[in-house]
Amino acid sequence: MATDSSNPAGPHLDSLTVGTAQFRPPARRVARGAIALWTVENLIGVAFAVAPVAAFAWLVDATDPAWLPGFVVEHVWWAPLLALVLGAPAVLVAPTWRFAVHRWEVTADVVYTRSGWFDREWRLVPISRIQTVDTTRGLLERMLGLATLDIRTASHAGSSKVEGLPAGVAAAIAHDLARRAGALRDDAT
Amino acid sequence: MTDDPQHPASETVAPQHLSPRVLAIHPLRSLRTFAIPLIGVVILGQGSSSSLVAAAVGVVFAVVIPLLRWVTFTYSIRDDRLQIHQGLVSRSTRTIPLDRVRGVDVSAPLLHRLFGLAVVHVEAAAGGEAQDEGTLDAVTAAEAERLRALMLRRRQATGDVQPAEPRTGPAYARLRRRWFLYAPLSATYLLAPLALLASVVGFAVEIAGQVNGVDEERARRIVEGVLGAPEVVVPVLAAFVVAVPAVSVLAFAVINWDFTLRGRDGSLVTERGLFTRRSVSLERRRIRGWELVEGLLERLAKAGRLRAVITGLAGEATRAQLLPLAPRSEILATAARAVAPFEAALTAHPPAARTRRLFRACLPWAVGAVVAWLVAPWPLAVAFLVLAALGVPLGLDRYRSLGHAREGARVAVRSGSLRRRQAVIEGRAVVGWTVKQTWFQRRVGLATLVVGVGAGRGGYSAIDMSEEGAAEFAGHVTPGWVEPLLVRAPRRGTAATDPPTVS
Repeated sequence: MATDSSNPAGPHLDSLTVGTAQFRPPARRVARGAIALWTVENLIGVAFAVAPVAAFAWLVDATDPAWLPGFVVEHVWWAPLLALVLGAPAVLVAPTWRFAVHRWEVTADVVYTRSGWFDREWRLVPISRIQTVDTTRGLLERMLGLATLDIRTASHAGSSKVEGLPAGVAAAIAHDLARRAGALRDDAT
Repeated sequence: MTDDPQHPASETVAPQHLSPRVLAIHPLRSLRTFAIPLIGVVILGQGSSSSLVAAAVGVVFAVVIPLLRWVTFTYSIRDDRLQIHQGLVSRSTRTIPLDRVRGVDVSAPLLHRLFGLAVVHVEAAAGGEAQDEGTLDAVTAAEAERLRALMLRRRQATGDVQPAEPRTGPAYARLRRRWFLYAPLSATYLLAPLALLASVVGFAVEIAGQVNGVDEERARRIVEGVLGAPEVVVPVLAAFVVAVPAVSVLAFAVINWDFTLRGRDGSLVTERGLFTRRSVSLERRRIRGWELVEGLLERLAKAGRLRAVITGLAGEATRAQLLPLAPRSEILATAARAVAPFEAALTAHPPAARTRRLFRACLPWAVGAVVAWLVAPWPLAVAFLVLAALGVPLGLDRYRSLGHAREGARVAVRSGSLRRRQAVIEGRAVVGWTVKQTWFQRRVGLATLVVGVGAGRGGYSAIDMSEEGAAEFAGHVTPGWVEPLLVRAPRRGTAATDPPTVS
């Protein structure tokens, strides 16, 4: 943090603790299969984005409508190409990058996750406040033997999701969390 | 049915009907709705027998249906459940367990008030997330108070519930008449007269169209004629400029007349309204904090609004209101009295946050200006440039608004410029933390900390804290479960100084 040295006030109470605090990374990685999962998912996503643009380009190319300037008609195939170039990182880079970032950990009190790639997000959900724990397995996830763990509290900002867990691990955690959440139940939502 | 049921001392209400006086209200109400169509039928039918029959049928329905509804509608409270039976052919029973009741609102529209009646609206959490509701329209005012006390008091087994308990609770706040003058500063009330005007104009156009058969072409010519005549337009505009604030004050007064906030039976109860008196009960054990909301104009006048942060309340925007518009000092004092005090000065966010606010306020418009310069007529580019320039004071003000603080068991976060919100939340109500960091934030060592709360808006963001500040803050508020996740690096650079505070 860039401290403001011009401030005349005395030392902050917090400076009694030695050093500056940082969140440590959660201990465990997700399954390697998650890379394949994200690659296929993003591939489908990019395909859905590019397809209508390509269809439009084809239509313009075929019909040569008068209401479009000649420049646009001539270079209409640039549009799907641009969409493809913009979408490429999501397929080629994002999955491996995500794999490097995504981590999770269940401590005695907290479900702690880190996710994202370009942007990152850390989530801390206390087990005593957990209301529901879901595991979901989409078609792709089932083919890859993976599962998504969905942990919810009364607040969307206090809820967490772990994608790309080995199915067995996800089921075991869900079971464990549900049991512990019940035991630790805190009245305040 | 009487105001004084058979077992006033026990927590039961024998099955009973609504007040018979609703039989006077409901036909009046439906007649009001049907009056114009009925008159229309009679006039257009030119008094023919069939039109009279139709009118008679309408009147009968207006009387008979409410009667049937009254006869078949009963409610009871037994075994900690509110049960509402209704329906003539298909009977339905709604059961609301009292421990699921989240709020009991009592409102009395003008007509109800004339007859000494009130509508009781019970809001309950259904098994899942969906809201389940029960409405008793209507019971006597005394019965409404008794039901409210019964339903909200069940936890304290006092066994002595007096009907129509007097307003013994302390009044935490009372709206002063002169605060009505703040109304034009509030977008909500400033827009009210405009909406009214729009509906009046729309209505007039519709009527004119029906009466004179004014076609669109003629209408356009009339409008153009009016707009082209300054001797008409100028006075109209002047009247408008005077009328809009006046009407907004009026609207505010009608809605918030004699607004009071008091404590009663473990709840905060607000009451307001000139014609329709509306009262909302907010259970204290569901209140997780409060929020001070200030629009830009309101902030210039040192005024704002106070709202409770409360779990499971539908229609929160208006119902969680603890003070509709009042001087800032009064709001803070009221919040301290009614919910919890918070006096700590907010810690300012690092200077990098200012750069980021400025970028975000200016950059989109600047880019827009460049694009517009290239492809569109120049006035558009100039407009974008003006907006980009306005982004400078906006961004600076947004930065000045940013702040966070901790006082005892409570945390506060603040952000926003055109609509600045400061939320004060009980630390024990925190159900999770989220730290968000975009690529740009990471480069300059900033992060946004979101306080997860199972109430109000769900998450309250401390935008652009320093990375370390965010971790420290979460660690201090909920040390039990955050500290184990923190690592402490040796301090780098100069000795830490107290970060500056903002007002």
